[in-house]
Amino acid sequence: MTQSETVARPIEIKIAKSRHRIDWLFWLGVSIVAMACSLAVFGPAIAPYDPTLAVHPPAVPPPPLAEVPGLWWGRITGVIDTPPYWFGTDANGFDVFSRVISAPRIDLTIALTANALSLILGVFVGLVAGYYRNFLTEGVMRVSDVLQSFPVFVSAMILVALAGRSTGNIVIALALLYTPIYIRLTRSEVLTQRVRGYVEAARAMGNREIVIALRHVLPNSLAPALIQASVTIGFAILLTAGLSFVGAGVRPPTPEWGLMISTGANQIILGEWWPSVFPGIAISITVFGFAVLGNALERRYD
Amino acid sequence: MIDETVGAPVIMAARDLRVSYPVADGKVSVLDGFSIYIREREVVGLIGDAGSGKSTAALALMGVVRPPGQIEAGSVKLGDEELLAADEDRLREIRGKDIGLIVQNPCAALNPMLKVGRQIGNVFRAHSDASKADANERAVEMLRMVGINDPEQRVSAFAHELSGGMAQRALISMALSSEPRLLIADEPTSGLDVTIQAQFLDQMWETVRCTGSAILLISQDLGVIANYCDRVAVLHRGRIVEEKPVYEFFAHPEHPYSRDVLGLQKAATAGRPHGYDLSAERPRIEVKGLRKVFSMRGTNVVVEAIKGADFVIRSRETLGLVGESGSGKTTVGRCLLRLEEPTAGEVYFGGEAITGCPAASLRGLRSKMQIVFQDPFDALNPRWTIRRILREPLDLHSDLSAKAKDVRISELLDLVGLKTDRIDQKPRSLGAAALQRLNIARAIATEPKFIVLDEPTSALAPHAITGIIALLHRLQAEFGLSYLFISHDLTTARSLCHRVAVMYLGEIVEMGDAEQIFENPQHDYSKMLLSAYLYPDPTKRRERAKIERTA
Repeated sequence: MTQSETVARPIEIKIAKSRHRIDWLFWLGVSIVAMACSLAVFGPAIAPYDPTLAVHPPAVPPPPLAEVPGLWWGRITGVIDTPPYWFGTDANGFDVFSRVISAPRIDLTIALTANALSLILGVFVGLVAGYYRNFLTEGVMRVSDVLQSFPVFVSAMILVALAGRSTGNIVIALALLYTPIYIRLTRSEVLTQRVRGYVEAARAMGNREIVIALRHVLPNSLAPALIQASVTIGFAILLTAGLSFVGAGVRPPTPEWGLMISTGANQIILGEWWPSVFPGIAISITVFGFAVLGNALERRYD
Repeated sequence: MIDETVGAPVIMAARDLRVSYPVADGKVSVLDGFSIYIREREVVGLIGDAGSGKSTAALALMGVVRPPGQIEAGSVKLGDEELLAADEDRLREIRGKDIGLIVQNPCAALNPMLKVGRQIGNVFRAHSDASKADANERAVEMLRMVGINDPEQRVSAFAHELSGGMAQRALISMALSSEPRLLIADEPTSGLDVTIQAQFLDQMWETVRCTGSAILLISQDLGVIANYCDRVAVLHRGRIVEEKPVYEFFAHPEHPYSRDVLGLQKAATAGRPHGYDLSAERPRIEVKGLRKVFSMRGTNVVVEAIKGADFVIRSRETLGLVGESGSGKTTVGRCLLRLEEPTAGEVYFGGEAITGCPAASLRGLRSKMQIVFQDPFDALNPRWTIRRILREPLDLHSDLSAKAKDVRISELLDLVGLKTDRIDQKPRSLGAAALQRLNIARAIATEPKFIVLDEPTSALAPHAITGIIALLHRLQAEFGLSYLFISHDLTTARSLCHRVAVMYLGEIVEMGDAEQIFENPQHDYSKMLLSAYLYPDPTKRRERAKIERTA
């Protein structure tokens, strides 16, 4: 602490309060993420209608807010036989509500798989590049620099356009684009950890270098990448939706938020806001949840 | 206990200070009933263990508390003014103008973005209407006063361009620039080399005597206290338990804690018991023509860290390697174990060549040669439990069963004086001294014959140091270990070593029996190093300080 800092600091600061806020945000993030994940598992099963069948009357608006409790009560007590279109139906006759809660399956699968792939690859390459510093690993870093210097969205678009619009290709494109982030994060942490005393001690103990790298350095270098993962998952969801929006994502009629916004956008000018707005809100909440969780984790680790 | 009537007028008096910090269940008082007074032209030493509240006291005397703590009761009077009743504006005026503070770690205490002269000038300008030019002139003047060569050039230096000693002197000139009545120095020399420490303390002492102000010198180093203080106050568990003139304190300590500290210190400085004849022992480590050259990354600059070292360490023997930072001591230790690849020269362990031996056989040899590092926390994997840390060497070098390993682990903990109740916790649950014991336990797990001790005590409080030294003595006697003890702390080196090598700029300039080196050094550098050494005894004050004092 510098002298001027000491002098300038006010005598009382209520630390307890800010601590409390961190916890509150952490749990908010956890619950949003948990919600999204359970929808990914059960969404299509609990959806009132098949999300891929366009068999409903087109462009039915959602029920007015005032009627919602009544309709809901009616459903529970069994007075109303057919489930109402909670979020209305779109121009093609899809039930928007069913599609919104079914979409996490595809969106989260893409985001999580892409992230898991890039996390594993990035951490491994970062560990090697940070621990064994030679011209080869320097070369790897320059390649990752080049990868990182492309605009993510444009690159993803081109990759998918070249390889074809399939879920697998989207996952691979995203994984490729996110790997450099994890490489860089892990490498920088490895660089600080590899000169720590415990690494030296492990070497003096007679461990092999590979054992030191995997058992000592790796576990101590994971935190930044894991924290980043939460935030990146949110961005990956956004990117998946964005790709669908410009027509480079999954094919219709797959329920996917970006695709729904895209198809609904044409009708917004006619006053049909609901096919686009509800999936938009869903994306915002989910991305927000992952971002908040990531921030809270970061502060916890500090 | 406190007599404020005799002698010079009292500059500052604190009474019954209580400072508390909130903790999970209620609060804990770091200071409780803390009282102290400081007279004009007086140097008061404040000693106490780690965690006794020394640094909190230093800040509280300026009306500052680190958040979330609070000053709950008491009074701090500067002259006739009550500081705890003063408002924030008035306090800001007093801090820096009437009370100067010097903190630990000089390099971190300077703003890296501002030129040194600007920082000194800022303190001055904060308390006067001086113009920028005046302030700059003043900064040059201050730097000259604290003995910095070429102050006109140095005012435009940044913090990283100064050495530790110069940064510390820049800080003191900052603290002194507005001629404060009281200077509070919190461990001002920890981490400095002995020669720089002596220069710096002489400087501070002189400056304060000339300007008629006073110093509160907080230190754990009894050598510093004995050489520079007029009066000593002992802080123990948040209150002053003893307070006496320095000669009286060292001659007749009263409180059990003071006796404890002084007794341990005395035992440590007495030197090791003699009567060992190690000449008949076989050489265990032989070093011939060891050289190490570092080349700076991406440049052609080469640094010769070791210019050539030859020595022998016998069985059951401790060779001390002393010298200032940058002299290459640590590099020698690392080259011996081939943690650093020597550029040239040979190292033999029990007749077997370590230099040039293939990696696989080197890994086998590792069980016979170990190292203990300076920073005890850094040397332990923070994610591993104590059990796992101690099991690693056993997994690598023994074929004991899982059960036998557990037995051995408790045996090791017992050997170094640690309890087994925290065996499944992470290292951070232990204090620095216990961590260093754990490091030693890990080092002896495979029953090595030779251990490099790389400044194993420099991160520890004096109390803990003596404990570690005793432990090292015991282990040596019990297992016939050989040590290479690397240290810049001459007191501990003296208490542990049979022979001492003095290192200066990559060369061993003198080597001999510990007794001979400490009592009758031959080389000019050894003489200088030892003249800067501060004996923890006020009757053996350094010559220079003594002359100034009588003058």
